Amino acid sequence: MFQIKLSLFSKTKSLENKIDLFHDKIIDVAMTFKKAITVFLREERSVEYKKLCKQIKNIEHDADSLRRDIENKLYSHNLIPDLRADVLELVENLDRIINRFDEVAYKFYIERPQFPEEYHSRIKELCEQVSDCAENMAIASRAFFRDFSTVRDYSQKVYFIEAESDVVSGKMKEAIFDSDMPLANKLQLSNIIGEVADIADIAEDCADELLIFTIKRDI
Amino acid sequence: MDISYFIFLSSGLFLGWSLGANDAANVFGTAVGTKMVRFRTAATIASVFIIIGAVFGGAGTSKTLTELGTVNELAGAFMVALSAALAVYWMVNSSTPVSTTQAIVGSIVGWNIYCGFETNTTILIKIVSTWIICPILSGLISVLLYFGIKAYLKHAKIHLIHQDLYTRIGLILACAFGSYALGANNIANVMGVFVDASPFHAVSIGNFHLSGTQILFFIGGIAISTGVFTYSKKIIKTIGSSVMSMSPIIAWIVVISQSIVLFLFASQGLKNIMIELGIPPLPLVPVSSSQAVIGAVIGIGITKGGREVNWSILGKVALGWICTPIISASICFICLFFLENVFNLSVYH
Repeated sequence: MFQIKLSLFSKTKSLENKIDLFHDKIIDVAMTFKKAITVFLREERSVEYKKLCKQIKNIEHDADSLRRDIENKLYSHNLIPDLRADVLELVENLDRIINRFDEVAYKFYIERPQFPEEYHSRIKELCEQVSDCAENMAIASRAFFRDFSTVRDYSQKVYFIEAESDVVSGKMKEAIFDSDMPLANKLQLSNIIGEVADIADIAEDCADELLIFTIKRDI
Repeated sequence: MDISYFIFLSSGLFLGWSLGANDAANVFGTAVGTKMVRFRTAATIASVFIIIGAVFGGAGTSKTLTELGTVNELAGAFMVALSAALAVYWMVNSSTPVSTTQAIVGSIVGWNIYCGFETNTTILIKIVSTWIICPILSGLISVLLYFGIKAYLKHAKIHLIHQDLYTRIGLILACAFGSYALGANNIANVMGVFVDASPFHAVSIGNFHLSGTQILFFIGGIAISTGVFTYSKKIIKTIGSSVMSMSPIIAWIVVISQSIVLFLFASQGLKNIMIELGIPPLPLVPVSSSQAVIGAVIGIGITKGGREVNWSILGKVALGWICTPIISASICFICLFFLENVFNLSVYH
């Protein structure tokens, strides 16, 4: 009996650690992405950028295996039956954020967009905003598991930063189309800016759902 | 030992089975309904603790029922238990959470009316008043627990996964406590009318002693356990989720509230402590676990704004409460007539 109890506690602890690790991965990928874009703007497809892209890919792989493990454990051990579907959806949505970071970083690597010098500060600002957005989303989600009364505070930050990123990306697109560069370049840059800004949009969608899950989380 | 005793006892065992099917579902129905505890696990724990409660804590409430009407012939006791069992079975079959206590009280009153004996109105009022006090008390306890746990969880910041584990452990412990309280409180409904004619003698194995009544209660406990395993799943569907959708923590609050109420109305020890402290003691009366559960659920439902409570199901439940004693009293009255006039059996003296 004592052994069964111990094993139950250790299984619970292990799953709790996995959920925490999964949230760490979002913060990791956001930080790495920010760094990678700064390197890209400075050195384009350099060895260091390649290394950072690989790092992002590895984080994405780790997050995928953690997600599968969490989902599998929740179902196989029949845990949190009332909130399991919500937690699975939350984890899936968070995983979409990580995937999008990976896709965008890879897109930079493949397409090698040529951002004129005057746009560098703005693209850095946008990347900073989407990273902050993802980080706050991770914190909000972590709070859902431990201290759900603070979920609203972090979700509010996500909403605020997402709105800011929309403004920055909109202004950038406007400036690009007002410039003299060839239309093909304009379209490529506009598209890639849209993809970066999309990360914040996905985080916002996550926050929307999380707030609904939080209402259900209350006893 | 007279074999006819066991033939007459069969109706009590049938009632025990009905009680197991119906009332035990109240104890762990919410735990199983919220998918936190498997039916088999809950049923096993419930069975063991119902028997323990019946054997070691069932004496107090039996006395009160005997005071309501001393069914003094075995054939009469047979019919009293059988009519209560039929009333409960009928209600269980129509998925209405029913009170075994009300069924047996109805039957005893039916027997009293048939025999022309006066029903002890003081005791009847005492019992009926507990039907009102019981859900109110259960509701109050559940509301207090609800606010207490809510405040604690806000302060403690327990991880959701750990909270799930603690809730599961809490539900299993509450299920054990609730089953003990149910056994102690409700065994009187099943075996109370057979106590006077019990042929069992006390047995001792080393330091372990069982009186004749305890052996009778043990047999009743086994009948209840059989009901738990064979028929309680259907009732769980009603109690577990239909009255109000509930989270596992609410399920725990509901189980523990009704267990506390059942325990308060069954514990001789607690009664003695209250008397010693100068607090007016609660009467030892078999109360309805269905009423206690519904009281707890409504208490929390109202606290949460009342929007989640499925009031139409509660109407059906309330109708069952009124109909049960009337139905069982009527069945008892009619069947006693047949038993006496067709089978020539003496049903009272």
